[in-house]
Amino acid sequence: MEAAQPKSVKHVPSYCYNCVSGPDLMTVKVVDGIATEIEPNFAAADVHPAKGKVCVKAYGLVQKTYNPNRIGTPMKRTNPKKGRNEDPGFVPISWDEALDIVADKLKAVRAKGLVDDAGLPRVAVSLGHGGTPSNYMGTFPAFLAAWGDVDFSFGSGQGVKCVHSEHLYGEFWHRGFTVAADTPNCRYNIAVGANVDVTGGPCAVIRHADARVRGYKRVQVEPHLSATGACSAEWVPIRPKTDPAFLFALIHVLVRENGLNKLDIPFLRDRTASPYLVAPDGLYLRDPQSGKPLVWDENSATAVAHDTPGIKPAVAGSFRVSKALVVDADKERREYSDVQGKTAYEMLSAHIEKYSPEWAETICDVKAETIRRIANEYLEAASIGETIVIDGKTLPLRPVAVTLGKSVNNGWGAYECCWARTVLAALVGALENPGGLLGTTVRLNKSRDNRHLSVAPGEDGFMVQYFNPTSKEEWQQAPSTRNLHQTLVPIVGHNGAWSQALGPTQLAWMFQNERPDDWSMPMPTLPEVWLVYRSNPSISFWDTRHLAEVAAKFPFMACFAYTVDETNYMADVLLPEATDLESTQMIRMGGTKYMEQFWDHKGVTLRAKAVEPQGEARDFTWITTELARRTGLLDKYVKAINKGISGVAPLKSEGYDYSLDPAGDLAPEKIWDAVCRAATLSLSDGREEHDLAWFRQNGFYTVPMSRLEWYLTPTMEQHGLRYELPYQERLMRAGRELGRRLHEKKMNWWDEQLSEYTALPEWHDVPGRWIANLEKAGAKPADFPFWLLTTKSMQYHAGGNAAIEVMHEVAQNLRGHAGVIMNANTAAGLGIAEGDRIEVRSHIGATYGKAALVQGVRPDTLVIIGQFDHWATPFAKTMEAPSLNSIAPMSLDLTDATGSGADIVRVAVRRMEGRATA
Amino acid sequence: MKPSTPRAAALAAPKQQRNWDWRAAANFICGGAGGGLLLAVAFAGIETPAARIALLLGLALIATGLTCVWFEIGRPWRAMNVYRHFATSWMTREAVVALVVFATGGLALLTGMRGLIVLAGICGLAFLYSQARILAANKGIPAWRHPASVPLMMATGLAEGAGFLACVAAWFGAAGSSWIALVLVALVALRAWFWKSYLVRLDDDGAPDEALKVLHGMSSRLLLLGHAAPAIAAALAVSGAPGRGGWLLAGGLLTVGGGWFMKYTLVRRAAFTQGLSMARLPTRGRGVPGPQVKPGWKSIQGAKAG
Amino acid sequence: MTRYVMTIDLRRCVGCQTCTAACKGANATPPGIQWRRVLDIESGEFPDVRRTFLPVACMHCGNPPCEQVCPTRATTKRADGLVAIDYDLCIGCANCVMACPYDARSIVHEPHYAYGDAPMAAEAKRFDPARVGVSMKCTFCVDRIDHAERSGQTPGVDPEVTPACVNSCISGAMDFGDIEDGASSVRHLLAETQHFRMHEELGTEPSVYYIWDKS
Repeated sequence: MEAAQPKSVKHVPSYCYNCVSGPDLMTVKVVDGIATEIEPNFAAADVHPAKGKVCVKAYGLVQKTYNPNRIGTPMKRTNPKKGRNEDPGFVPISWDEALDIVADKLKAVRAKGLVDDAGLPRVAVSLGHGGTPSNYMGTFPAFLAAWGDVDFSFGSGQGVKCVHSEHLYGEFWHRGFTVAADTPNCRYNIAVGANVDVTGGPCAVIRHADARVRGYKRVQVEPHLSATGACSAEWVPIRPKTDPAFLFALIHVLVRENGLNKLDIPFLRDRTASPYLVAPDGLYLRDPQSGKPLVWDENSATAVAHDTPGIKPAVAGSFRVSKALVVDADKERREYSDVQGKTAYEMLSAHIEKYSPEWAETICDVKAETIRRIANEYLEAASIGETIVIDGKTLPLRPVAVTLGKSVNNGWGAYECCWARTVLAALVGALENPGGLLGTTVRLNKSRDNRHLSVAPGEDGFMVQYFNPTSKEEWQQAPSTRNLHQTLVPIVGHNGAWSQALGPTQLAWMFQNERPDDWSMPMPTLPEVWLVYRSNPSISFWDTRHLAEVAAKFPFMACFAYTVDETNYMADVLLPEATDLESTQMIRMGGTKYMEQFWDHKGVTLRAKAVEPQGEARDFTWITTELARRTGLLDKYVKAINKGISGVAPLKSEGYDYSLDPAGDLAPEKIWDAVCRAATLSLSDGREEHDLAWFRQNGFYTVPMSRLEWYLTPTMEQHGLRYELPYQERLMRAGRELGRRLHEKKMNWWDEQLSEYTALPEWHDVPGRWIANLEKAGAKPADFPFWLLTTKSMQYHAGGNAAIEVMHEVAQNLRGHAGVIMNANTAAGLGIAEGDRIEVRSHIGATYGKAALVQGVRPDTLVIIGQFDHWATPFAKTMEAPSLNSIAPMSLDLTDATGSGADIVRVAVRRMEGRATA
Repeated sequence: MKPSTPRAAALAAPKQQRNWDWRAAANFICGGAGGGLLLAVAFAGIETPAARIALLLGLALIATGLTCVWFEIGRPWRAMNVYRHFATSWMTREAVVALVVFATGGLALLTGMRGLIVLAGICGLAFLYSQARILAANKGIPAWRHPASVPLMMATGLAEGAGFLACVAAWFGAAGSSWIALVLVALVALRAWFWKSYLVRLDDDGAPDEALKVLHGMSSRLLLLGHAAPAIAAALAVSGAPGRGGWLLAGGLLTVGGGWFMKYTLVRRAAFTQGLSMARLPTRGRGVPGPQVKPGWKSIQGAKAG
Repeated sequence: MTRYVMTIDLRRCVGCQTCTAACKGANATPPGIQWRRVLDIESGEFPDVRRTFLPVACMHCGNPPCEQVCPTRATTKRADGLVAIDYDLCIGCANCVMACPYDARSIVHEPHYAYGDAPMAAEAKRFDPARVGVSMKCTFCVDRIDHAERSGQTPGVDPEVTPACVNSCISGAMDFGDIEDGASSVRHLLAETQHFRMHEELGTEPSVYYIWDKS
């Protein structure tokens, strides 16, 4: 309803990929050249699981485009001093000058060598949330590929704000870098902190809504009643960080109280390592000749190699094996004769005996009868024996899943949780079967777009997994990145930027200042050039005040900048890139991607430039091409584009050649036109070709995909492979080797983390680690009696939109935004009323916000939504919103073996002077 | 711009209305008193100069109230559109009656004719009634829409009118006419009775907790200062105690003051909206549905239609 | 006879405010003005707590108290059930705001913008001076409904003529259509479910139905 009659109205198709749960499809309404509205793209209703709709975040994109606080021109810093209290004195400069400044720095690095004397890349790059920046940064990945060694260590929260252990172990066990319930078929979902109705994107939201109406049951296990908890059939307010105990007790009920006969025996026998025989020393008993793990064949009543044809392995039991060997760390072999071997399942059964619901009740503050009921409901809902026909193939239907959320899924206790929930799936045959627990994408393995292609035989009848080597010869004793990912975390692998970024990112920040006393590796250096895009670690990581001080020491920093923010406040150069609605890019969509983005179609979608960029902002692809040109990398850069690195398909393949010429026209439109053509030809096997102009009209192109692609188990069956569950012999060995290497270098500072490498996870006092950390810091635990947690908000989560007014406005309709959520009864005891300004203090600092009193949170727990406490970002800095990040410490003690930590901190709370005003 | 932070927890609950501020309250305060005064004059039969003053005062009160409203409305230059909906809108009717009030009152002032004074009085009563119905027609404000608000608004308008008349009479030295004081006592008593009845019925039928808190919170002050005190003063005036003119003046002023305090409270402080509620809470998957939720209301049987 | 109604399935709503934001975009409402929003309502005591999300807006009542009190006839009830406001007639007296038991109406007396005193390009483009100083509320996206008359499309079926909130809802909680049309999805949905209308006891006959369970 425009006041004046518009001269032209266009609806430009585009996508939103502001969080990992994308892409979702939308259109931009453009009136007389001005973007006025975001609308769904109903043309995609038949192919997009969310029917062509985008979530609330996308509706902020119009304001994002026209926000007057945007950086309008390239800028350079005039104040050489850097720090929170130093005005950067940014002054506008031309693009030429800005690009030359950055290119000169990069060229100087190239002249010296990409890697410095410490063996660390001289260039560091930090990108924001979960790979989402790559959906907005055009051809920049091609530039990075052309560049060579880059350090992605300086994280903005990955590792501690993601579901880190799930990424690592999920991918290891079942190619589940992200793991979801097969919601369209699921009947029973135990969601342990999984806030899927907030973070799962429109695909998850509609699927869970459909499931609710269909009558599925979701039990939400979490200390604070999230929006997802609100929409669940039952809320179980568990004590923070005691989730492993809860999950162990569920396994106990299944294994010890129901017993093997009620479980999915064929699945355990054929698709898991349950039958593998374990020696008394905890290692697999192996065939003396082949070295393959042994199983007990019930047909022949002998121990045979696990892959012997025609056998019927015993799942449970203890068997006498006449001759066998075990392989320990560093390939040490020991031979056994006449040895008693227990099946891995038997080991599990014995191990889990002590973890009864009654035991768990004392840890989790959840009644034993509740735990037992939930376990039995889960088992019953698994409907073992039922089948479903999908695309002509009969598969087991096991409609149960245990999903895990952030803070359950990272930091101490996360390994145990990931293991337990995957075992829970395996016990009932729900792992990677219809209705059950699915991995949806891979990142540490290839191919990224089809996880089935990553399935190949590896060791011991399991899928291949490329661990970082821990052998004496191959272990990386001088780290190649500042977060030591290859040195410290075998399971994270070395698959490029993803493995790097998933290393222990807080170590990169922490070790810039101080190292452990027994550090015996090269001292970490500062990166000479730091490039930052869509990332604001000074807000989104921990101990943020301190982190900003570290960032201020970096000698040269160039930021692709939307507004001034807390990180680019330290920058030397700001480069304003054309934002979501102003630039062009093509990405893949559909297939199976993050979260619940598993579709019945796969294809590509274009983010078409809907409006001209504001000010001097430039298309990211233009900026990248110019950087490549000015750093002399044009040939390599174009080669990388031609390889398909920034697009979706190589630009040259059988039957077509759209490869670009470094000497030719490299305008963004030219590049993306080639990508559009190559993508459609590749997807349609040469049948169809569409150019950029077609995509600007139509937005996306898909081909159908069989739903069988959702499930890995048939592929595992095809390869005759087993999931590496329940027993973790390989991890145990890797841990032993890693320990030896570190100790050989006389380093013991990672010893606590080494304790996580167990074949069968034990309960250790997970919450107690935070108490111990307090005591170590010289604080009295009694002074910090509450747990502080965070929870995500759909309005803000990963959107980088704290500066967007409308997001703030609509978020205020939900409780606790910009405040501190606490239990109303607890608050009453402390004299705190609704809206009172309160201080939440940890042993490293304080954060302030208004009390939001609710009943839906445990009395011992406070919750702060999202990540705020801005001091530089326009608009956001006026919110006076608190943040856990300001007061959560980075600590080696609170870092688990994967290098991850959890969003939780012990705090005190008190009312500030003055009463709430209306 | 500093972002505002409304509280999510309060969004569903009844909220104090913020659209009708002191200007709208002034219309009910002055207009009601003016209408009541016109009626009182019509029945008073006091000497002409006093009647004229009282008439003038009544008209001035009404005009003041309407002027205040004119300053409050969003589009004052379109104010004449107010006459477009006589069929159901009490605001239109109030505006129409206002015209007749000013016509008859003006003529009465000019001519001093008894018949015109009576006519103006009847119009004043009609104006008062319109105002009472404006308030009661607002279904969004439970404290207003209750049927008991109409007699209460009428009673206070009449009492305030009598109060003003008493003041004029005292001013003009006509304090000897004891019946004015007696009528004042009677009307104050009537208002007290309607007030209590309003409160009891509102409690019974339900209203937002905050509205009830405000109304109950001011009730004893209202009864003491706005009712008991003027009644005693008026009684003293009747009893022939020394300074009876002063007592009558005091009785009149206290009656008016009490009424205005009550109306201001009703129109502003106790004017909480209905709020939003759910008759049932939804089933979430295989969970069970929940009972009614009505934030900000203790009694959840729901208020009657007004 | 046509009567357009909206159904909102409370079982589905997750409180995401997508409809709130979509409405703000579609109707260019100024900061702080929400013609619709989703409330976050908690009931019970720890640990037996429920949290429910309740989308609210103008209920387009069959017996609209706002229409009754409006002195200018700016507010009217249309033949198709929509309660409409003629901004050129409204004097901004706020009587309708008081009469509405759903907190659905608001009046903005001064123009204001997302970032300070000056409008952004998108705000300037869509600024409508007729909406200053008058009563505003959800219109059921009346322009779209009127467009359906001309285009022959069906509101609730064709997105182009369906309210923006309904189009935007990512949980599929909202539906829209003619309740008098036996073939409409709202009719079917209401037949299959248990539902209520808010404050029905006030006799307003709202056109928004809240679904809470299967029948």
